[in-house]
Amino acid sequence: MIDLALQTVPGVADGLLPAAVLALTALLLFGIDTINPKEDSLALLCGISVGGSLLALALAGSLLAAGYEATPVYGDALMIDGTSLFFTLVFASVTALVSVASYDYLRDQDYCAEFYALVLFAATGMSLMAAANSLATAFVALELTSLPSYALVAFLKTDEGSVEAGLKYFLVGALASAVLVFGISLVYAATGAMTFSAIAEAMVGAGDVAGVLGLGVVMIAGGVAFKMAAVPFHFWAPEAYEGAPAPVSGFLSSASKAAGFALAFRIFVGAFPVEMAVPMGVDWVLVFQILAVGTMTLGNFAAATQENIKRMLAYSSVGHAGYALIGLAALSAGGPNGNVLGASMAHLFVYGFMNTGAFLFVAMAEHWGVGRTLEDYNGLAATAPVASVAMTVFMFSLAGLPPFGGFFSKYVLFYAAVESGFWWLAAVGAVNSALSLFYYSRVVKALWFEEATVPLEIGRRPVGLYVSVLAAALGTLILLPLFGPVVETAQTVAAALF
Amino acid sequence: MNQWIAVGALGVVAVGIPLGMMAASSMLRPTVPEQGKSAIYESGEVPTGTARVQFNIQYYMVALLFVIFDVETVLIFPWTVIYRPALEEGVPLVTLLAPMLVFIGILVVGLVWAWRNGAVEWVASPRALKEKTES
Repeated sequence: MIDLALQTVPGVADGLLPAAVLALTALLLFGIDTINPKEDSLALLCGISVGGSLLALALAGSLLAAGYEATPVYGDALMIDGTSLFFTLVFASVTALVSVASYDYLRDQDYCAEFYALVLFAATGMSLMAAANSLATAFVALELTSLPSYALVAFLKTDEGSVEAGLKYFLVGALASAVLVFGISLVYAATGAMTFSAIAEAMVGAGDVAGVLGLGVVMIAGGVAFKMAAVPFHFWAPEAYEGAPAPVSGFLSSASKAAGFALAFRIFVGAFPVEMAVPMGVDWVLVFQILAVGTMTLGNFAAATQENIKRMLAYSSVGHAGYALIGLAALSAGGPNGNVLGASMAHLFVYGFMNTGAFLFVAMAEHWGVGRTLEDYNGLAATAPVASVAMTVFMFSLAGLPPFGGFFSKYVLFYAAVESGFWWLAAVGAVNSALSLFYYSRVVKALWFEEATVPLEIGRRPVGLYVSVLAAALGTLILLPLFGPVVETAQTVAAALF
Repeated sequence: MNQWIAVGALGVVAVGIPLGMMAASSMLRPTVPEQGKSAIYESGEVPTGTARVQFNIQYYMVALLFVIFDVETVLIFPWTVIYRPALEEGVPLVTLLAPMLVFIGILVVGLVWAWRNGAVEWVASPRALKEKTES
């Protein structure tokens, strides 16, 4: 057991060191860019951001491995516990993957330092979202994640698609933030408290304002649903992922989505405990059940009709948000809540690798000048077999085929849902998974079995992209033997939330 | 009686008073339309054109930097108010000073970066200059 509030570095609680490292790395990048704005060394910038995110990863991992105790710090504004560390692990790994991959992507771009700094600031915001213990901190952390994300989506500022995507993302995001803030104000009006534990205590006496409270809770759910890209706040996702640089799409659809879930787990489990909220008529579990079923079904059906790979992956990531939502939808008073929430966290962990990997493969295809539709991928395996094997692993893993990581995480998730008595949620999930196999296998078929219509000319082999795609594939595969410990850790830390 | 009725009544009165005043004056006053009355009021100046002109985009950067300092002031102000009383209460100087120094330090990093990247440099636009001298 280690004391997370201990301050090895004065002023920074030990449990927050990963977040502090991410923020400092971003500031360091700004510092380097200040010295020589026009002639930055891309290798140096890339090295620093990869180093920073790996250091954060190692810190979070070692804190998690050393045993921990849930510790509120800074006047209860933040809560450092297993959940925050577990999610920081996800964010830091995705950040490292994306940073390595961006090396090739940024070769011909200006503003490389800004790109890396924005990615790291967003990652800082995400790890604070996972540690938020009050509605005010939650909102600030969410904005710290969102604002760099908008800029990153519009990063190719001479590219119309990228700018359009950035604008759409920003407008929907601003709306979602407004909804969230309104929800927070209503909850504050009903309970008079901001920290999650204080809200949970105040809910006892809030019976006569249950209507105001319920409206606030629904609005907060809407605000976090935007970050998760869950129905009905998913419109931005296909647009933003399609227009954004592919590494950024990978970053947003994995890390940013996981951050939305981390915040949702914290708020709903911490501030509105099921056993108190549901008897009051504030039935947020029902809200998430509707969202989960709607998100899964709509995401997978829409993905099946797409011809553009990035849009297909975007809708598939909407579908995966639906699976992960089971973690909140299958909660019940006195049920095995830790298991189902932990299974959802483990699924997000695996998803972080396989989905980022899939987007990075798309980034590689963009780098080679391969088109964006499914047909353009025909016969790619003949020219780039190694990367295609990796992509095949991602696709099958996303579909949930054994023996890949995605199979185990989905299996545990659906099993936990059945165990909690929500067999129908698991059934909807299983049907959707079967459907998703259809469109994932189309990619695999295009890669391996179709003949290329135009002969492919692949110039340079992008080292950074190869390294990160293979690392993500390796991550997806390594999680096979490691999956037991991952699920156990996730379920232990999730059980500690209740 | 529900206490919210008072809030609703306030809203009704707040909307009703200006509407009532406008209605009353339109019934009482004589109608003498003149050109000067329908012209746009520009603090006594004669309007020279429409208000829909394009401003130089660089004002945006200035405004953005201003907002940063504005927010900085909002956070520094309460801190200065409690600074001396807190010192007299025996709060260590480091505990009191360090967080604010870190906060300002982060902002300074950002400002210096923006400065080096030319955010506060006023770039003269040849086209704008030409249009200015022509009109």
